[in-house]
Amino acid sequence: MDLDFSEDQVMIIDSAKRFLEKECDTEKVRELKEDEKGYDPATWAKMVEMGWMGLILPEEYGGTGMEFMDLMVLLEQMGKNILPGPYFAAIVLCSLPILEYATDEQKKEILPKIANGEEIWTLASMESSGSYEASGVQLKAALEGDYILNGTKLFVPYANVADRLLVIARTEQKENPEDGITVFIVDAKGPGIATEVIPTAAHDKQCEVMFDNVRVPKTDVLGEINKGWDVMEFLFQRGALLKCAEMVGGIQYALETASSYAKERMQFDKPIGSFQAIQHKLARMVIDSEGLRYLVYQAAWNINMGSPSALQTSMAKARTNEVYQKMCLDAIKIHGAIGFTEELDLGLYFLRTKASEFALGDTSFHRERVAIELEDQQPLFSTIGW
Amino acid sequence: MDFKFGEKEEKLRLEIREFVKKEFPPGWLSSLLEEDGVDEIWEVALATSKKLAKKGWLTMSWPEEYGGKGASLWEQLVYAEEASYWGIPGVTMGVGGVDWVGPTIMAFGSEEQKKKHLPLIASGEPDGIWCTGYSEPNAGSDLVSMRTKAAREGDEYVINGQKIWTSAAHRSRWCWLAARTDFDNPKKHQGISLFVVDLKSEGITIRPLVNYAGYHIFNEVFFDDVRVPAANLVGKENKGWSQLMHALGFERGSIGGRGYGFNKRLLDELIKYTKESGQFQQPEVRSKLADLAILLESQKLLAYETIWKMSKGAIPVYEPSRDKVLNDHIVEYMATVGTEILGVYSQLDPLHKHSRWTKLKGYVEILYWLFPGLLFAGGTDEIELSIIGQFALKLPKSY
Repeated sequence: MDLDFSEDQVMIIDSAKRFLEKECDTEKVRELKEDEKGYDPATWAKMVEMGWMGLILPEEYGGTGMEFMDLMVLLEQMGKNILPGPYFAAIVLCSLPILEYATDEQKKEILPKIANGEEIWTLASMESSGSYEASGVQLKAALEGDYILNGTKLFVPYANVADRLLVIARTEQKENPEDGITVFIVDAKGPGIATEVIPTAAHDKQCEVMFDNVRVPKTDVLGEINKGWDVMEFLFQRGALLKCAEMVGGIQYALETASSYAKERMQFDKPIGSFQAIQHKLARMVIDSEGLRYLVYQAAWNINMGSPSALQTSMAKARTNEVYQKMCLDAIKIHGAIGFTEELDLGLYFLRTKASEFALGDTSFHRERVAIELEDQQPLFSTIGW
Repeated sequence: MDFKFGEKEEKLRLEIREFVKKEFPPGWLSSLLEEDGVDEIWEVALATSKKLAKKGWLTMSWPEEYGGKGASLWEQLVYAEEASYWGIPGVTMGVGGVDWVGPTIMAFGSEEQKKKHLPLIASGEPDGIWCTGYSEPNAGSDLVSMRTKAAREGDEYVINGQKIWTSAAHRSRWCWLAARTDFDNPKKHQGISLFVVDLKSEGITIRPLVNYAGYHIFNEVFFDDVRVPAANLVGKENKGWSQLMHALGFERGSIGGRGYGFNKRLLDELIKYTKESGQFQQPEVRSKLADLAILLESQKLLAYETIWKMSKGAIPVYEPSRDKVLNDHIVEYMATVGTEILGVYSQLDPLHKHSRWTKLKGYVEILYWLFPGLLFAGGTDEIELSIIGQFALKLPKSY
């Protein structure tokens, strides 16, 4: 048992901290709210140079071949120092499933372009049901020589700047809604596609993407036809876990900022952190955040080792969803009225909690997955015949 | 990072499970809470301590020269986790025998004290069972205000005063006593000393404090001109407080592991029960059990983190408080969910758990009626939260 970061991870954390502080302070985050693209291409280019796009892609595809845990620590820093942009969409939601499910030929064609920053990718999965249930996938792909896609995707991150999309579509209606789903590789700027930014509270460029008779060649499929739900299942583990890592970073920020404010802010001639009502709230925040951190790290370690991780990732995402929201609210309360203002950075984090909470499964979605795992398990005491 | 235990620890786990299978009836479960308060469990505890001693597990953390095994912190964690999961009674030798009395005697005691007391504890014999006399009626959370007096008279100390909430005093042979030896020093913590007191001494009265559910766990212990040989002073006079704080370090690692083990067992029992009763299919029940499973996983990992820090040579300051507050929260939540699941049957008297209407061997009721006592043992949540604020976040002292 060893809970230390590796040397590589310490290096990633340090360089990410320095880079993000310099490149993306909160003024920049506020500017990008109003920006049409919602990210800074100059920063993006520097991230490419630092090797972040292909961090865990193998060298043959232009990556640096590092491990899943290494990507996790990077995302934690991106959550702590908010970095608006399509990194999560392109790298987590697209490059990881491509690496896992694409053919060699597809990998050779696509992955180097992601690694060298030439192309931005995003995933179009959610529809008007607003859920991650397979039955919500109704965008229709009809086989007429090529596939013809018709329907609408919602909350597609950074589709406004994407070059290509992974689209989760229904190719067949079967009894089990998880069957008959296929993942398509689609040119985001191709004919029949219209993209509109949805006005989210964080202005974080989540889009509606409409498909009107979009023609996709039969070869542009990721993984097996009708087995596309496997890709989503893959993302409910790896993607959800990396989203947790980002949220853990935000949680750390909320705790640190609330704690330092409690030391500075004087009332009744004392720092408010000396009052138990405030101090005990902060102490509970310590317990919640530290407990959560290892839940996330352990799940990541299991993924890294190739061990079963469905139970642990769902535990992590269910808990992180709850803790991030509570943490931001408590931090706001500790600040008093100033916590409610635009000028305090805390609001930038709070406004992002809902996007994170619903990304790749909300609390009840993942809690139910935990329940299913518990139902399947034999109790430990039965191992000695009890 | 690496979340895997070593081969040695995994082997120990299996050995403990073999032991449980051989020594206890199928489905056996007991909790620390019950041990002092229920005669029939106490008998099992006494017998089990000796068996644990033979296995070398009872004092595995102690160095070999004192009857221990010099086990690693990780082995100790595995033992704490497994012992409480399987409900092995008799692991503590009263309150503190294994966890702090022995280790403090090793660190500060005289040769004579070491020779006499360490083998007694390590053997698992009834004469190695201890209670701990710290709290007083007016010195609870503010422990340093204790007023029980030990006055030196020739080769003896004469002790007068009262201790309270003394768990297991009625089961113990010895009392590990903190008393005031200097009333003049304005620095209260510099006037306290530690003593070994024979509970058979003249002038000691132990009066039961029975809780609302009928359990006799706590006691009041009165000291009326009790004469204790000066040789029973542990370490230096007036240095008791720092010795006591040092001693707390020895039990720090076990809080999370023991709590997790017991909670995990009860969760496993509740899942099995609700699967059989069909309640697991109810959305509210499965969601609460899933929630508990998540909290328990967090608790386990924090317990591991505390041990990991200790294994790297750090002395954890706020982590044990963190682990305790989390355990208190989980225990309350689990007790409440447990009674919701058992419904009307959760009203049964846990002291009559052989009733044909008792479900899950009475363990939900035991936990529900007794968990408030757990909250106070070793420091209230409020005190623990203040320690976390002060030492984890460096906030100003709040009391």
